[in-house]
Amino acid sequence: MSIRRKSFPTAGEITFAPRAGRPWGSILLFLGPALCFYFAFIIYPVLVTFYNSLHTLRMDLGMTYEYVGLQHFKEVLFEDEVFWRSARNAMTWAVVAPCLDIPLALVLAFTLHSKIPLARAFRTVWFTPLLMSYPVVGVIWLWVYNYDWGMANLTLRFLGLGDYAQAWLASPTTALPALILVTTWMFAGFNMVVMLAAIHAIPMEYLEAARVDGAGPWRRLCHIIIPLLRPTIVNLIILDVIGKMKQFALVWVMTRGGPMWGTETVATYVIKRAFEWKTLDLGYPSAIAVLWFVIIFGLSVGLTRFLQRREALEF
Amino acid sequence: MRTTAAKALLMVPVLLYTVFSAGPYVWTAMMSLRTTDEIYRNHYGLPIPPHFWKFYTAWTEFGYATYFKNSAIVTVTAVAIITVVGAMAGYGFARRRFAFRFREPLFLLLFLSIMFPPQIMILSLFQILIKYGLFNTLAGLILVYVATELPVTIYLLRAFFAQIPVELEEAARIDGCTDWSMFWRVMFPIARPAVATTMILNFIYFWNEFLYAVVFITKQEIRTLPLAIQFLVSDQYFDIGMLATGLMIATLPVLVMYLFMSEWFVKGMTAGAVKG
Repeated sequence: MSIRRKSFPTAGEITFAPRAGRPWGSILLFLGPALCFYFAFIIYPVLVTFYNSLHTLRMDLGMTYEYVGLQHFKEVLFEDEVFWRSARNAMTWAVVAPCLDIPLALVLAFTLHSKIPLARAFRTVWFTPLLMSYPVVGVIWLWVYNYDWGMANLTLRFLGLGDYAQAWLASPTTALPALILVTTWMFAGFNMVVMLAAIHAIPMEYLEAARVDGAGPWRRLCHIIIPLLRPTIVNLIILDVIGKMKQFALVWVMTRGGPMWGTETVATYVIKRAFEWKTLDLGYPSAIAVLWFVIIFGLSVGLTRFLQRREALEF
Repeated sequence: MRTTAAKALLMVPVLLYTVFSAGPYVWTAMMSLRTTDEIYRNHYGLPIPPHFWKFYTAWTEFGYATYFKNSAIVTVTAVAIITVVGAMAGYGFARRRFAFRFREPLFLLLFLSIMFPPQIMILSLFQILIKYGLFNTLAGLILVYVATELPVTIYLLRAFFAQIPVELEEAARIDGCTDWSMFWRVMFPIARPAVATTMILNFIYFWNEFLYAVVFITKQEIRTLPLAIQFLVSDQYFDIGMLATGLMIATLPVLVMYLFMSEWFVKGMTAGAVKG
């Protein structure tokens, strides 16, 4: 018996053997490089930012630190009007954009689902804007919003609404809505594709059964498709809200936060305070970043809890 | 009969949206083949005759060759590194064999950092890159890019590796394979579809990335395409024709690939939908 076991180890021994001692060599080999990157370029910088937010860092004096406690946070919250303005803009963006993107995407997904000709070609075209970088999109839309020859005003004049033609990016009241429309242009197609995939995943039997029971297309939509799409829609909403709260590039290229802080977002304000205003202090913008980080993080956890109701985050 | 009419009616919003969606880009594409003089005469004219030489001029005289090269170096290197490092880590996180005490909390932390706004890292990264002589270098940019996309890459690949039955690798192990050779010879080839998905996702992200490039690159000769475009807008504000050509140079590589493998692109981009 014992001789046999020596020459022919049983299956039990093979699976048991590695557990006796962990394969630390392999663990280090597989996880080590990624964790090095992760801790060096993500976790460590995050901690440094938290640390910096309690200090004043003079870039002009060779990064000398001076401890100021919660001074920066007090200033951001109670004295900094630009921060509040930019926070309001970012919040507006985060609330309005999903209200446009998601219903539009839903409508588009349903039309493509109802087997219209060339559906694949339409899908390909609608998805394309997402593949361009923000600077490219920004320049194209600067032209679209051009007062004299841009597509926006041209369309209005063509429709006989020439009175409404205006310099969209020059007024604080229209600049932000104009930028929000650009992100809708980019993301509606993407949301549509995700929803379409989810619709295709719905078992045909459900819809067949409903049809047999006499449910028309409208009722099938409201009572079967939309409830089954709920997890997908919730996911896309969270994604949209968080993404818009981080918005930087489009603003940077198209308006630089202007006119009159009309399109300033927290992301652009942090960069401006750090590198454009000649305050030469990295501590104060770090405090803004920390605040915004806490808000975004809390919001994404809260939204997930609130909207998802224990449905698994799936993708 | 009724359905035909209804479908025809459906085509109206579909076509309207298509005009909205494709219009701005098609317009830009046409301007890229016309000279600025022609454009100022009529902004919506067709490119007749098409001036293809503008692409050559943009490439040689306006620096797009350099910017394109920089973007290509950054994107290709970062994708290569992140694919290898991310696949190994995804596998390491997927298998019970490699479990240790803090592995699951570590993975949760990794997953949560998908949601981190870049601002929470960017200012201190600026400091750190300066300290180690990586500021204003493509290498520094590449390292930051790899780190920022690692969490989502690992998350996606871990999910895929976890689905592959363990029996497969046990068979290989009995044949005398080490973990290392077994991973590269058996697991990695099986995971090719998932790896391709993350490669496309990361390729597009790196090619288009703007925020880190703005902060970490200040020298003109190492600007990437998105960064270069931002500067060219102000430098040649009135040379619309040449700018349009530049925009096409910046987007065509991605769009041409998209045309041939749109299914893969859609899969890759929507897989990244977990990114919040």
